Amino acid sequence: MSRIGVFICHCGENISRTVDVERVAQEVGKLPGVAFSTDYKYMCSDPGQNLLKKAIQDQKLSHIVVAACSPRMHEKTFRKAVEAAGLNPFLCEMANIREHCSWVHENKEEATVKAVEIVGMMVERVKKNRVLPTITVPVTKRALVIGGGIAGIQAALDIADCGHEVILVEREPSIGGHMAQLSETFPTLDCSQCIMTPKMVDVANHPRIKLYTYSEIELVEGYIGNFQVTIKRKARSVNEDTCTGCGVCMEKCPVRKIPNKFDCNLGMRPAIYVPFPQAVPNTPVIDRENCIKFKTGKCGLCQKVCGPGAVDYEQEDSLVVEAVGAIVVATGFDLYTIDEKPKGSAIKGYGEFGHGKIPDVIDGMTFERLASASGPTGGKILRPSDGREPKQIVFIQCIGSRAREKGISYCSKVCCMYTAKHTMLYHHKVHDGQAYVFFMDARTPGKSYDEFWRRSIEEEEAVYIRGMVSRLYQKGDKIVVMGSDIAVGVQVEIEADMVVLATAVQPQKGADLLAQKLGISYDKYNFYSEAHAKLRPVECATAGIYLAGACQGPKDIPETVGQASAAAAKVMTLFSKDKLEREPIVARVKESGCVGCFACKKVCAYGAVEEKEIRDRQGNLIKTVAFVNPGVCAGCGTCQATCPSKCVELDGYTDEQVIAMIEAL
Amino acid sequence: MTKPIDTSIYTAVTDAIRTEAQRILSEGQVSAIVGYAAARRKGSAQPIVISQPDDAAKLIFTPACVNNLAVYLTKAKKEIPKSGKIGIVVKGCDLKALSGLMGESQLKREDIYLIGVPCAGVLASTVQPATELTTDSIAPKCTECDAHLPTGCDFVPAQTPVAADLEKKYAAEITRLEALTPAERWAYWKEQFSKCIKCYACRQVCPFCFCEQCLCDRNKPQMVDTTPRPAGNTAWHIVRAMHLAGRCAGCAECERVCPMDIPLNLLNRKMAKELKELYDHEAGFEVLDKGPLNMFTEKDDQSFIK
Repeated sequence: MSRIGVFICHCGENISRTVDVERVAQEVGKLPGVAFSTDYKYMCSDPGQNLLKKAIQDQKLSHIVVAACSPRMHEKTFRKAVEAAGLNPFLCEMANIREHCSWVHENKEEATVKAVEIVGMMVERVKKNRVLPTITVPVTKRALVIGGGIAGIQAALDIADCGHEVILVEREPSIGGHMAQLSETFPTLDCSQCIMTPKMVDVANHPRIKLYTYSEIELVEGYIGNFQVTIKRKARSVNEDTCTGCGVCMEKCPVRKIPNKFDCNLGMRPAIYVPFPQAVPNTPVIDRENCIKFKTGKCGLCQKVCGPGAVDYEQEDSLVVEAVGAIVVATGFDLYTIDEKPKGSAIKGYGEFGHGKIPDVIDGMTFERLASASGPTGGKILRPSDGREPKQIVFIQCIGSRAREKGISYCSKVCCMYTAKHTMLYHHKVHDGQAYVFFMDARTPGKSYDEFWRRSIEEEEAVYIRGMVSRLYQKGDKIVVMGSDIAVGVQVEIEADMVVLATAVQPQKGADLLAQKLGISYDKYNFYSEAHAKLRPVECATAGIYLAGACQGPKDIPETVGQASAAAAKVMTLFSKDKLEREPIVARVKESGCVGCFACKKVCAYGAVEEKEIRDRQGNLIKTVAFVNPGVCAGCGTCQATCPSKCVELDGYTDEQVIAMIEAL
Repeated sequence: MTKPIDTSIYTAVTDAIRTEAQRILSEGQVSAIVGYAAARRKGSAQPIVISQPDDAAKLIFTPACVNNLAVYLTKAKKEIPKSGKIGIVVKGCDLKALSGLMGESQLKREDIYLIGVPCAGVLASTVQPATELTTDSIAPKCTECDAHLPTGCDFVPAQTPVAADLEKKYAAEITRLEALTPAERWAYWKEQFSKCIKCYACRQVCPFCFCEQCLCDRNKPQMVDTTPRPAGNTAWHIVRAMHLAGRCAGCAECERVCPMDIPLNLLNRKMAKELKELYDHEAGFEVLDKGPLNMFTEKDDQSFIK
């Protein structure tokens, strides 16, 4: 027999102003099964909780209903109090008589009647509550970090420094990502390579970081604390263990004119190459599409000159499986392809700006390579067309970003700042040059950011024109830029030597495919979605997977590093215990009735439903049924709603409980 | 005006089915075949399961072969013991049901040998079995058939059915009901459901009612009132219509077997129409991994979110 205790909260005056709480306590006290019923001014306060604990012991209560605010507010508080008094926390339910009653009604009489009914429903419900044991799952204390840009590097270093093993997977031949391509960084103008490369070396030398470059995620199985990840290691054609990184192979390679992607195709590289001299690992890779040996079977020069004999033409792609407990996704961004409409995309191109057709119309990243001391021009700003120094340069912001009619409505966040930086770098390198910037607004929130932007105008003589460019075209060796200055209301025409487009930040190509492998959600632009925009910004809705950097949305370096460390902290929180405790609000399959249609498996967003074989004692297969892995289940209840046989129950929200509530009305 | 429907190919179809059945049974490709055989009354047909090659001669295909045999392969009905690959004679409408069952993990394609039947139509349940097939005597479901010739089968007799252009009986009835006011429509269905005697024949004959334990047979909690009273009757038929939405292949067996003549397939056709309009889904021969109600796409109608 249940001995239910009901506690009615006044919530200061929030509830008692509109609900006669004493009458509710009296009325509810008459319900069958209710052994104790009282009201108190603040149930959530320390004396309130003590009242609850004392009543449980004195009255020998078996189930508890707290009628107060929303369970989202204080369910955890009261369940903890109930647990402290020696009851299973899941024998406590909350009746919401604040948001669902006092706040939305004015008539005290009617609100009181409604409050009695709401509490009555929960009394009937709590009678059907079962003791639920907390779920524990073991945790593999190794982390996988996907992406070796600054986000992935920071997260990997933080986790490894805390004493845990980290697997860092990078798609390109070297780690470093986009930050390694940058010249100087805002708002302090320190050299990107100078702050980046030491961190890259730290990764390479760290005893607890296992680095897989030129590798991709093939398959992700398992769940929080227990993932099995299959990694495809693409054939490098050079043995990483024996190569000393002397570089002779690259010097001797007869193929020399392959545009280097790292230099935005401005510089050239051989067929056996490292993307940039500071690459980590400093092991070359053979670009098999352009290598003479792979194309014709002849040549083989690199193998002949390689002292340690590291060049291996026979190498094949291989798969490795790693067991990890947590995954940090840090796949970063890519720049919007401005000249053409991406295939199968709602996003339109910006053909009117001549990118790809006019050689001196370049994007922001190409300008970074021109300005970089280690870039193809040694840090001189020179036109790709004729190698002359541009004396008039036009920067155009918001290319792709904030253009709903073109398909992207978000702000790329970094362009205002990097364009201001570009004007400074240009001014430092071309003293007699003039920089113009077309902009919609300058968005410069951030420490020392607005000061930096002001400096580009006030000290570095950049001319900012508020307005967009309607058209630009080649005229002789000049580019005529036609736009409007909406602050003054006049048309502007500038004969520029070079135009730099601040193109939108987009997620990496294939971000959606990786998300599907991981079972995490993404938005319409393929940016990964966090579990809660404000309160859980680095966690995915899928337990055990965390986000760092621009794969989640446009970010600058300080923000990315901050988020990477935050993700690492989340991973360390997970790794701080040997077993992981999870709330037991999970789905359970009634195997006797399950017909194995697996509709539940098909609708599960978390990959929590597995197939389970039921066999008799002789080992004959009786049937295959669904099984919900409690370690993965998030308790959303979709499977319960989908099951045509009604053979899935969500603990804490069973059909029996819900029907009892309805029947109480 | 009543016009005869050309069923002249049925004799050749019968011969072809017999030859194929004889062959696959004697070669041991299948352990049994579910098909149709002549029944006692003149012109009538009934389901049969044969396992001997000599019995292949018993198989027939006539306008009286109305049953959807797919139901015999479902687990809940447990009619045929699982013993190796099983052959089955299927009309287009029955094949849609089998495809649905495969999509819902109830059957594996490699466990079945499909003998497809080119079909111009079968008789309505309201006429005598020996009746000639005409535009009047044809089953209502056949007036809306888009699957006269099954595809993707292991064997189909090389005959082409002549599909008659017929007035779509369910579509016409749905249009009539849709024109009514909600009160009038409610009155119509209330009257129909009041006839129900809860014999569950509709459930027993339905290939998609494969649950081992029907939720209507549960009593903890009791979801549906089991006695044949108006509230429970209405709940039962609405639950069934909802459970079949996006799955029902339109074989109309429920309506055929209903002893109280409740127009059950009308409910299912209305649901099919909704599914077509909302999700562009139609039951077909293709095996779908996910039914229309088990997935979400960005194109889905979201106008109900206000």
